[in-house]
Amino acid sequence: MAACLATLLALPLLAACQPRRSSPSLIVATKSRIDSLDPVQASRIGVMQVLSGLGDPLYAIDSNGRLETRLATALPVLSDDGLRARIPLRQGVLFHDGTPFNADAMAFSLRRFMAIGTLGYQLGERVESVRVTAPYEIELALKRPFSPLPRLLSAIFLTPVSPTAYRRHRDKPLNDRFVGTGPYALAFFGGQQQRLTPWPRYWGKRPLNAGIDLVTLSNSTALFGALRSGEVDLLLNSGLEIDHQQALHRDAAAGRLREAIGPSQEIALVSLLSDQPPLNRPVLRQAVARSLDRATIVRRVTLGLRSPQRQLIPPDLPGSDPSAWPAYDPAKARILYRQAGYCQGKVLTLPLTYRSDIPTDRLFALTWQAQLRRDLADCVTLEVTGMEATTAYSQLDKGALTMLFYDWIGDYPDAENFLMPLLSCSKAEGDRCLKGNSVLGGSFWTAPGLEAELQRSSQLDGPERVSLLVAIQRRVAAANPYLPVWLSAPAAWGGLGVSQPRFDGSGRVRLGELRRLSAADGARVP
Amino acid sequence: MSRRSDLARYLASRLALAPLMLWLIASLVFLLLRVAPGDPIDALLGTRAPEAARAALRAQLGLDRPLAEQYGRFLGHLLRGDLGQSLTNGEPVTRLIQDSLPASLELGVVALLLAAIVGLAVGFSGIARPEGRLDLAGRLYGIGTYALPPFWAAMVVQLVFAVWLGWLPVGGRFPATLMPPQGTGFYLLDSLRAGDWQQLGGSLRHLVLPASTLGLLLSGIFTNALRLNLRRALGSDYVEAARSRGLSERRVVLHHALPNALLPVLTITGITVASLIGGALLIEVTFSWPGIAFRLQEAIAQRDYPLVQGIVVVVAALVVLVSVLVDLVVALLDPRIRF
Repeated sequence: MAACLATLLALPLLAACQPRRSSPSLIVATKSRIDSLDPVQASRIGVMQVLSGLGDPLYAIDSNGRLETRLATALPVLSDDGLRARIPLRQGVLFHDGTPFNADAMAFSLRRFMAIGTLGYQLGERVESVRVTAPYEIELALKRPFSPLPRLLSAIFLTPVSPTAYRRHRDKPLNDRFVGTGPYALAFFGGQQQRLTPWPRYWGKRPLNAGIDLVTLSNSTALFGALRSGEVDLLLNSGLEIDHQQALHRDAAAGRLREAIGPSQEIALVSLLSDQPPLNRPVLRQAVARSLDRATIVRRVTLGLRSPQRQLIPPDLPGSDPSAWPAYDPAKARILYRQAGYCQGKVLTLPLTYRSDIPTDRLFALTWQAQLRRDLADCVTLEVTGMEATTAYSQLDKGALTMLFYDWIGDYPDAENFLMPLLSCSKAEGDRCLKGNSVLGGSFWTAPGLEAELQRSSQLDGPERVSLLVAIQRRVAAANPYLPVWLSAPAAWGGLGVSQPRFDGSGRVRLGELRRLSAADGARVP
Repeated sequence: MSRRSDLARYLASRLALAPLMLWLIASLVFLLLRVAPGDPIDALLGTRAPEAARAALRAQLGLDRPLAEQYGRFLGHLLRGDLGQSLTNGEPVTRLIQDSLPASLELGVVALLLAAIVGLAVGFSGIARPEGRLDLAGRLYGIGTYALPPFWAAMVVQLVFAVWLGWLPVGGRFPATLMPPQGTGFYLLDSLRAGDWQQLGGSLRHLVLPASTLGLLLSGIFTNALRLNLRRALGSDYVEAARSRGLSERRVVLHHALPNALLPVLTITGITVASLIGGALLIEVTFSWPGIAFRLQEAIAQRDYPLVQGIVVVVAALVVLVSVLVDLVVALLDPRIRF
């Protein structure tokens, strides 16, 4: 007892002798553990956020969704057949090891990414080869014309790395170092902690802060507590539970925190197994689509922090069609269930699987189940089952899951990145996809001519492309192989001692714009 | 002489069986991971990648080979002390374990010391007046701390001392604004060796909450064990004999009853140490402590086969070693032990 009391008494003493936070750098916390900072390994949001401070892509998307040049000096110049794209590169840029950035370095990085990148297929599926055409110009030979090329090249995982520093890692990742061209250089790397210091010879605008310390905290309570206690300056919402997000949102509304919301890149959806009973009947899929009360579910499950979504393409992107999918209509749904032979003493039982390791997924499943019990109990009932995410993904392409609730995050902001991965089909029999992304997405659905339309949409540009994308979405919405449910946006919260955080168009916080405010600054900014 | 040779034979047999036990554990983990649903490719790429990319990654990671071949390679590498490379980032598994194991051991050792000091003190405190208030409080303490759900206790401690009072950090192992000490991976030791008091203070501040929580939760075991064994010892014939010889109660308790009562506690300590080598998952997760249990949990979620196998084999080897050492110490201290 005495020792216990002594321990408790010792705590304030320990606290008293702790050094006060004197570091001029800012502390940014997230849940994502970072095992590697090599762009070839990058596939998770946390890594992309750190890389966005350490590296530069060829192009970037600004806060208004417009494309801007970074390491490229102009948009790609396409050949007449659209199969070759020449990209002029910025001169006078140095890597963090002092070596110059040039066409050789860019070609080295792109080839390395295609060869060993976890997301190497994103480039490899579209680019045949990379050629150096001048000291500061590269040429990409495309497999087919690809209009969203600049947007793909805005992906931070395509940031160049120094060929000198990565010479021995041409065919294997270099995890604990990063030598790129970005505004910050990596000063320290640990799985739970990374230190970024401003790179004094950066070609662009210098960061407004003295450095960034990124820390990983493993659970939502710790993240939330760390911001509330002032232990961290900025918190990213990835991994934060929804009630914690709501509490922070309220604090921000009350002026106690600063809040920034980024562009939505994440869509939660339900896949409907369309090649097996019972959902191989289009009338039933239509009925299910009209049975989903998104507004109620989003309000109850996400506490209003996400927005109901009736399309596959995020609303900020060209080709968006906000009302593509049918709205909630229980009366119409009942008619459709009746047409299919249900509601007259016969109740359709639909198995819905959710990812058990994601709390909101379980809430979604239970809320939809309750909503159907309220509105259509005599026609349909949900049988909900939780399954660990990795297990669920492995079952999806085997046709084992009648309906799975999961989410899709685009690797770069373009409509193509939201349609092709869910709908593309390389081998089909009528409306049944036998091989392709539609199988991997769990719907097994396609339609005659759809693949050609998808391919054509990635070759067109401008209004013609937009109208084709809208047409594709409407065609898919009529068949309902997927049900979009809600849209998530990245968010960040900072204390009042830090300037207002801002996101770029790719959903990354602009680390270089953050700065610690003086008392006078704090008084001016609410 | 006979007892010493018995002990040597016992230890030799335990050590000789250790490789067999490790082989069985390694094989079991290898098979269970492959039988369990889920695929490392799905964990790495989610549902996003096309079939060709998935196949390429599968081949790159050697997962397209027949199971027997994968098993043969795994055992071959294991015999050479090579635990393979993580599927997640290609780092040698040995290095990842070297990064995480010291964190768990440091937490475990400090928590165990705290548990032993607090637990034994509480267990001992009620002995003067059995069934008295202090004894009752000690009993309640023992049951209460043992029964507390670790994640709940950890969260309450975190909320009170880190979030509300702001005295200590909510998580992590080291202040974000300082550079962690280099060396063995045991931050307290490395800071002391470097003579860097700022680093030592930072390490201690981060260690206080997880170690105190874990220590207090474990202390109930020591409290109950000491209390029960001491009471049993105080009622035994040799204690009665000591009392009848006119020895003071203090001498009877400290010199006759306590040493005998501590022997079972030593065995319990050994078991606790063995369990702590594998880390205290809930404490590590709650306090973002980058230990081996936390690493294992992540590796399982990512289906990082080599990392899971490596951690299990290393932890199993250490557990075997610790249990042999505990047997040895108990045998040396207690002449009644026969093998």
